[in-house]
Amino acid sequence: MRIFINECKKALTSPILITLLIVFSAFNIFIIVSSSDHKEELKIVNEIIDKYGREITDDSLKQFEKDIQSDLLGLTEITGKQFESIYDFLDGLRFEEQEQYSDRDWEFFNSLQLKEMYFGMANSIDASYAEIDVQDGARGDLKGYGISGKAAETYLRENEEFAERFNEMVDNEEHKEWFFAGKPYFMHSFLFKTVFLHITIESLLLIVLMTALITTYEFENRTQLLTYSTHRGRKLMKDKLAASLAVSTVISLFLFTITLGTYFFLFDYSHVWKTSISSAFNWENPFPYVTWWDLSVGEFLVAVVVLVFIIQLLFSGLTFALAVIVKNSYTTFFLVAALFILAWLLPTFMPKSSNLFIVTSYTLSTLTMAVSQSFMGSSGLILFKNFEWMTISCWTIITIVFCTITYKRFRKMDIQ
Amino acid sequence: MIVVKDVSKQYGDFTALQNVDLEFGNGLYGLLAPNGAGKTTLIKMLATLISPTKGEIFYNGKNINDMDDQYRERLGYLPQQFGYYKNYSPKQYLLYLAALKGIGKKEALNKIDELLEKVALSDVVNKKMKKFSGGMIQRVGIAQALLNDPEILILDEPTAGLDPKERARFRHLLTDLARDRLVIISTHIVSDIESIANEIIMIRNKQLLYKDSVADICATLNGCVFETTIDYGQLEDFRKNNILLSEKQEYGQMTVRFIHKGNSEDEWTSVPPQLEDVFLYEYRDELEGEN
Repeated sequence: MRIFINECKKALTSPILITLLIVFSAFNIFIIVSSSDHKEELKIVNEIIDKYGREITDDSLKQFEKDIQSDLLGLTEITGKQFESIYDFLDGLRFEEQEQYSDRDWEFFNSLQLKEMYFGMANSIDASYAEIDVQDGARGDLKGYGISGKAAETYLRENEEFAERFNEMVDNEEHKEWFFAGKPYFMHSFLFKTVFLHITIESLLLIVLMTALITTYEFENRTQLLTYSTHRGRKLMKDKLAASLAVSTVISLFLFTITLGTYFFLFDYSHVWKTSISSAFNWENPFPYVTWWDLSVGEFLVAVVVLVFIIQLLFSGLTFALAVIVKNSYTTFFLVAALFILAWLLPTFMPKSSNLFIVTSYTLSTLTMAVSQSFMGSSGLILFKNFEWMTISCWTIITIVFCTITYKRFRKMDIQ
Repeated sequence: MIVVKDVSKQYGDFTALQNVDLEFGNGLYGLLAPNGAGKTTLIKMLATLISPTKGEIFYNGKNINDMDDQYRERLGYLPQQFGYYKNYSPKQYLLYLAALKGIGKKEALNKIDELLEKVALSDVVNKKMKKFSGGMIQRVGIAQALLNDPEILILDEPTAGLDPKERARFRHLLTDLARDRLVIISTHIVSDIESIANEIIMIRNKQLLYKDSVADICATLNGCVFETTIDYGQLEDFRKNNILLSEKQEYGQMTVRFIHKGNSEDEWTSVPPQLEDVFLYEYRDELEGEN
């Protein structure tokens, strides 16, 4: 245990780690705060859920409509004119008239506008989903990406299955639950693409650096002759692997806590945790976000955090294996970075008519870069239901094998 | 007892050691050879850092690589280049090494205090080692080698960086230690081991040259070592005909110590051979190459 703690200390007391952790945390907080100007508007969703429930039903919509009509009467009281919609009032409002109204009036106008927007969106869900043809979309994708042959067959087959899931989702009305409007606010993209990608890339940088530092520490400080000739000997590498994984966990936890803590402090998700992530409101792109399984926002968040965490541990393991061979932390770092990019670009080197085009996208790099699309059937070329667990399983095996081979090699190699 | 049996080490086409057979019991052994002769290769094999390409090394009849940690727990080793963590104090560093050597923290703390006092570093126990002189670092190295009270103590060039006073104290310490354990000191400085080693091991051309007591090794040059005084102008001719061991300028003349095998001249004084004489004689080609 003392050896393990000592190995951890080598990384945790490293000035590079401490400095970068502070810089990255500050950067993440800045990104979130500077994108939080609409945070007050989001609270309307919590109010709606509070009043009408999380699920969108005909009854709750009727009640919602009644309340909007009542608010429109309030609008008439303030303005002295009758409007059928807040938009009619706002469209006709002249610049010089704006100052006639108090801040409280404007608060009321804004709230009513948001309510009308959400009501309008809720009303159009059925019509919008009726227009969606999954298979047609898939054929469009194939044409767009120039995919043919076996790859196209595999893609279409998976899309057939996804079409079934889509219809099941519509029948279950998983999508009829309140969530922050996707197109005006892009909250899913902001959280799972921007914020998560920042956390993931930053932690990966630190994890790769620290794993390489711990693993090569003796060689870089020229203490290898001493440490590997002690009673613990070359088994010290096992402690170094354990310490690397532990330090990776600490780094991830720190960045996740600081960044997500700031995010959820500013953006109130208190009422939407149980909303389905496939909610019709969570629709930012031409195709709405639809997961393979019925996952709530909270479950999706936990699943993605766990997924990212596993990816980072696997990267730590792979870095360890590479560092045992390379014995230089900076060379290891740049090699891992190069391999990450190479793995990400790998499908582009494959013939687009072959299944290799699909298989080579099952890499940790692709999984990392597409984390916002995890567990989704609406994720384009990586829509495959088995994409996450298959990629993780394969790379776990690869990592274990790679670590075992390099460790066994290290046990026998000459230490100069 | 350590037995080195027919050990060779090759790096590609380069042979570092060839067919070396040795036996070590308790006592102090001096491994004496010029730089690059293969001392460090042998020492690293004894420390299980490198494996022989051919042959085996046994400790009490068991292969040391098979014994693994059971062998290394008996080992204290000071490498030629003693690496250390610059931002650690001797106490922190020795505590870390004690953990690697499987010594409990409480036991280690007592041992560290004792050893740092023994190597005269008790007043800098908590100072960062980056501020230490070469001699101080070397003393930390000696202390760490003794942490686990080893049965086998292997020291590679242990006196590098030590001043004469420290060297004397170190020799005294080694004499004490060698009473009940196996101590191997690798060095190219004859005076470090001449007076204290039970046996000297010399390696030449990657092979074992001598493994014997100082007296027996010196006896190989009995009657061949002389001293005489010559004019400075005669020195070049003298060098051509004899193997010069040392030369000293005195009162405008040269006093030379040399080896001559064959008939001696009257003005030459036969002197008892020293270990240094054997060293300079046996390694004359290598030493000339170095110069």
